[in-house]
Amino acid sequence: MVRAILWAGACVATGVLLAGAMKADGVSERARKLHFSSIVVDTHDDTTQRFLDGKFDLGVRSSSGSIDIPRMREGGLGAIFFSIWMPSKITGPEAVDRALIQIDAVREQVRKHSKDLVLATTAAEIRDAHKQGKIAALLGVEGGHMINSDLGVLRSFAALGVRYMTLTHSGNDEWADSSTDKAVHNGLTDFGKDVIREMNRLGVMVDISHVSDKTFYDALETSKAPLIASHSSCRAICDAPRNMTDQMMKDLAGKGGVVQINYHVGFLSQEFRDAEKTNPELNKAISAEVMKRCADNEGCQLIEGDRLTREYVEQGNLPRVEFSKIIEHIDHAMKVAGIDHVGLGSDFDGANMPYGMEDATKIPKITEALLQKGYSEGDVKKILGENTLRVMTEVERVSRELNAGK
Amino acid sequence: MRRVLAGLCLSTCLCAGLFFARRTSADDIAERAHQLHFSSIVLDTHADTPQRMLTGTFDLGNRDGEGHIDIPRMREGGLNAQFFSIFITGRTLGPPAIQQALDLVRQNVQQHGKDLALATTAEEIRRAHAQGKIAILMGIEGGHMIGNDIRMVRIYRQLGVRYMTLAHFYNDEWADSSTDKPAHNGLTDFGKNVVREMNRQGMLVDISHVSDKTFYDALEISKVPLIASHSSVRAISNHPRNMSDDMIRALTAKGGVIQINYERNYLSEEYRTALAAVAGDVSRMEEKFKKECGDDNVCIGKAEIKLEKELTDAGKLPHVSWEKIIEHIDHVVKLVGPDHVGLGSDFDGADMPDGLQDCSKLPKITEALLRKGYSEEDIRKILGGNILRVMAESERMSKELQSAP
Repeated sequence: MVRAILWAGACVATGVLLAGAMKADGVSERARKLHFSSIVVDTHDDTTQRFLDGKFDLGVRSSSGSIDIPRMREGGLGAIFFSIWMPSKITGPEAVDRALIQIDAVREQVRKHSKDLVLATTAAEIRDAHKQGKIAALLGVEGGHMINSDLGVLRSFAALGVRYMTLTHSGNDEWADSSTDKAVHNGLTDFGKDVIREMNRLGVMVDISHVSDKTFYDALETSKAPLIASHSSCRAICDAPRNMTDQMMKDLAGKGGVVQINYHVGFLSQEFRDAEKTNPELNKAISAEVMKRCADNEGCQLIEGDRLTREYVEQGNLPRVEFSKIIEHIDHAMKVAGIDHVGLGSDFDGANMPYGMEDATKIPKITEALLQKGYSEGDVKKILGENTLRVMTEVERVSRELNAGK
Repeated sequence: MRRVLAGLCLSTCLCAGLFFARRTSADDIAERAHQLHFSSIVLDTHADTPQRMLTGTFDLGNRDGEGHIDIPRMREGGLNAQFFSIFITGRTLGPPAIQQALDLVRQNVQQHGKDLALATTAEEIRRAHAQGKIAILMGIEGGHMIGNDIRMVRIYRQLGVRYMTLAHFYNDEWADSSTDKPAHNGLTDFGKNVVREMNRQGMLVDISHVSDKTFYDALEISKVPLIASHSSVRAISNHPRNMSDDMIRALTAKGGVIQINYERNYLSEEYRTALAAVAGDVSRMEEKFKKECGDDNVCIGKAEIKLEKELTDAGKLPHVSWEKIIEHIDHVVKLVGPDHVGLGSDFDGADMPDGLQDCSKLPKITEALLRKGYSEEDIRKILGGNILRVMAESERMSKELQSAP
């Protein structure tokens, strides 16, 4: 925080003399000022996997991956959802057990770094953290397979601070279809709808990233609170089933929800996606090398996957995707769904980052790019975090209302 | 109704006996006792009622012909703060099963939100009391339930668990039980780390059930006073589950509290020797019922009660009066003063003595102590004040340890 304050001071001083001057990182003083006074919320981050080996320290600037406290400070990231994740194939009590352990791992990182981090579960707590100069850490569960078809587990997750749950990951779970699996439930089962209702009651946000289109529409119909897509991009730009169609985004927005744009190159760029498709051998080679380097260490797999993909791009085997693609998606979503319905869901430490958005330090470039595109400061603030904060507040209100009605 | 008649009888007997020798009449004492009891926080640190919840048909809101606890009877007995103890047998089920049991308690509390409030701190108990609600707290009975994973101490604490009994009837992998063959010579190194983490998390260290050596190890390691959530006095009933006078002195020298268990076997030496003669020790009995009932603890409990009733009716086991509870409390008070004893009934998990069939009978304890000449202040401590003090101390120490680098 000291550093940020010094920066801000320096900015004001030089800003007067060099109006509109730009630092080497391509972020103007105006953008910097706006960015560092905004609450920047990122709704999806996989750094949790790195916590599990017991060696990674969030407090130390790391030369790999995208997230640590020094880089979050440098990038003005004010609130981050750490994802609780394991592959869809892990189910039953083992999945519950592993989820509890991951939740504990996040909570422990927060406890160990309590000067910089504070666990938050509400919009108000995020705002409080911001006022205290701390980064708010939040918890999201990425995949309904982790509740073992038991609403009690969902309630325990909520009691432990989990603030959203993605209904599925890459595979279907027992009660919801995924966008990247063969549909078996035709969306949500009856139990799946009960899960949504219980999430509404608990104030756990319903996250429709990863789910099939039918699951999305079922969730939209069932939920009494706005939905989020914690890390999804626009299908109109990149035709991946993980991305949202224009119609889906409109319908999401119609009920007050937010799509938080994912920075993964395979979801940002059609060109990249096509290249991957036409060269399935490349992916296989990357996977094989990742397994060689990481075995079953999932934190390592995610980081090395990103690193190796970048190497293939450098060698000219895959197309280079620039960070400006993120802006393109934000702008598209804004035009389709409206300014109040777009946010940031990086997928840092869990995906392949585009050039210019290698880690959290680069986030101010988004602010700069949006200002250059002519977005008002108020609108930029909404995208950076206020839209997500609004949904959180609304989800909390609905929860209170449902509990009062009991 | 029966309660009122019993009270009246007792009063008249005592009146006749004293010939009004004292300035306060017996009726005044009954009135004072009632007043005192129903204005106090009455905190019981051990009931096995979650076992009944696990059956899926039990409703805390209905007055029940069986068992010892439900909301109507808690109201009648002025029991306004209760630790529900979670016990799951299987190691294999692991934390997900415990999580489920904790959720079950939370759900039961929520269903009866008009009468009950979940509490995890001394302050929350006082708040519930001020609102006229019964505070429900949670304990975990047996260190085996963390599945040898210290992280689960933190998870359970976060889920609302406020104490953990280090072992149950059997040793776990890091602590010896008082009713099993010692395997670790007390606490293992991992066991000591568990105690340290419990201190940090504000999870009370419960030494009921553990071996004497485990107790002394825990006492040495813990930075927070210990509790014996449901143990009685070995000088009166020489059972390994009870505490020796030396142990009680050592416990209380570090600020701890022994919460008297109402189980007949732990209250009465006569009963204990008779039971040992007919049925062997507790663990052997447990084995027998386990064979009959598997993991169904309600079934085991019923089998125990049935067997003990049969044996009592046949004259093979003596009757045990509820006044034995007073004898145990008084023994501790004489030994270490009034600041280190409380109530840990073992309701719904033990065989109650005659005259204290369920929690509705608790006011009798207050009245008996008053008649024994205990001050109102001391009685309030025994009813709940002492354990509240330990809880507050644990909370203070937790904050201190958490803020340490």
